[in-house]
Amino acid sequence: MNPLHLIKLEWNKYSPNGTFRMIAILYAGSLVLAYFLVCKVGMNMTFNMNGTAYNPTLGLFEYPHNWELLAYIGSWMNMFLLGFLGVFMMTLEFSNRTLRQSVIFGMTRMEVASSKLAWAVVLALAVSGFALLVGLVSEVLTGSMLGAPPAGCALSFFLQALGYLLLGNLVGLLIRQTALAAMGYLAYVLFLETACRWACYFCIAKTRLLLFLPHQVLDSLTPFHFPDSVNHLIADSQVLANQLAPAEATMAALFYIGLFALLFCLKIVKSDL
Amino acid sequence: MPVLTVTSLAKNYGAVNALDGLDLTIEAGQVFGLLGPNGSGKTTLLAILLDVLHPSGGSFEWFDGREGGSVRRRIGGLLETPNFYPYLNAEQNLAIVATIKGVSDSALDSLLELVQLKDRRHSPYKTYSLGMKQRLALAACLVGDPDVLILDEPTNGLDPEGVVEVRHIIQKIAAQGKTIILASHILDEVEKICSHVAIIKKGKLLATGAVGAILSDQPTVEVGADDAEGLFQILSRTKMVAKITADTCLVLELEPGRGPEELNRIVFEQGVVLNHLVMRRQSLEAEFLEITRL
Repeated sequence: MNPLHLIKLEWNKYSPNGTFRMIAILYAGSLVLAYFLVCKVGMNMTFNMNGTAYNPTLGLFEYPHNWELLAYIGSWMNMFLLGFLGVFMMTLEFSNRTLRQSVIFGMTRMEVASSKLAWAVVLALAVSGFALLVGLVSEVLTGSMLGAPPAGCALSFFLQALGYLLLGNLVGLLIRQTALAAMGYLAYVLFLETACRWACYFCIAKTRLLLFLPHQVLDSLTPFHFPDSVNHLIADSQVLANQLAPAEATMAALFYIGLFALLFCLKIVKSDL
Repeated sequence: MPVLTVTSLAKNYGAVNALDGLDLTIEAGQVFGLLGPNGSGKTTLLAILLDVLHPSGGSFEWFDGREGGSVRRRIGGLLETPNFYPYLNAEQNLAIVATIKGVSDSALDSLLELVQLKDRRHSPYKTYSLGMKQRLALAACLVGDPDVLILDEPTNGLDPEGVVEVRHIIQKIAAQGKTIILASHILDEVEKICSHVAIIKKGKLLATGAVGAILSDQPTVEVGADDAEGLFQILSRTKMVAKITADTCLVLELEPGRGPEELNRIVFEQGVVLNHLVMRRQSLEAEFLEITRL
């Protein structure tokens, strides 16, 4: 089966599903709402400094920080909603036993795995495209027309979306039950990895390698750099020291995306369904 | 021409041998019954043939290995329960199967008609009764006009009306000359539908052959009369009866070459009139029990 066939197959499966639609609407709605709310509040914020009205956050809405801000806000939706969607799409197949049914109907196991991976790429492209649209519309509405996002920022956002989707898929494939898998996924990204990182940091070695754990890598793809006007107000240098450089994060994310895809394929090809 | 050749197929779950070196050949056009008690390995065998399970040993080959990678699209399968997307309707579910098989969905209407689901084709699958789900599964098996159908307990859980409907559909499909592999523990079903049968127990093949060959040729005869005692005395004396079993009536195993007409005449000549005479072939059930007792 060619990739377009596989994508059509996944579209036919998921597009009529209520939960899928709800997550899609939630993603779109929360990204738009959160970004416009931050813009609205941020742009109108004023501090009184020595009798002068002053807005230290204005730099956030200047190019390219406006795109970084959008990507940063989107990263929360990627982590929660896309990750959960990845989990849900796999566990849906197991709860209805439709994954094995696809094999019974004649798909090879590799085709089953490929269709999921191709679908994850399509979804990651779709959310990246949507975020781009939100950014451009925002620029039009504010009359700033600052320009398209830097290529690195767009690529990072896409990789992050794909990474969380594949991580969710993998967790769903391994745990198979929606509630347990969703809890497992959220526990990992919210607590477990951070707990492991700090435990290793204090008990084993204070090494920078601990920044290369999967969630940390995906999170580092959309860093939030405060503009200079804000930097002096907070100890931002401390925050930045805990993050990977963009090139490091991109390379590590590519590695993890490959690893998740490989483990996903191996699990489907090798296990009894 | 063999459609399927299974050689020394084995599947182990730890110390448990679900399949234990099974050999089997199924020819084109056969309606082949896999008969065995629950847990005998029928579903495991079919799951391996459909690539859902990996075998621990042995091998199998479809169509003498001539079809290459596309072989699975020539096979329609129903394993255990029907599995579809509950929020999709019959048409949408079958369209997914058509996409998987790489065929046009223009024939789906006629399939829905065959399984009598055309009126409910727009209803979500989750609203279907078990019988309707089973019928939709049969339609899904037929998408792409496969050469071989694999059906695992297709009447499981159905009410008597549903059983008859599904059997009727299977018989219609068989009449088209397709090869059908049907696993069941219901002997009557195998006897009514299948041309050939293999009996499996604990993952081992105990017997295989045409249903007619597995069935004994020598019939049994049930007789009854108002004078039951007199009838028993006459039958005990005659040399044409090999064995008499007293049940609600008398069940006789006749000597080879003897028939019920002769029996009726002898009894009548000795003054007893039969009020009940039924000829029965030895059932597959009796044969099955005899074989699996080994």
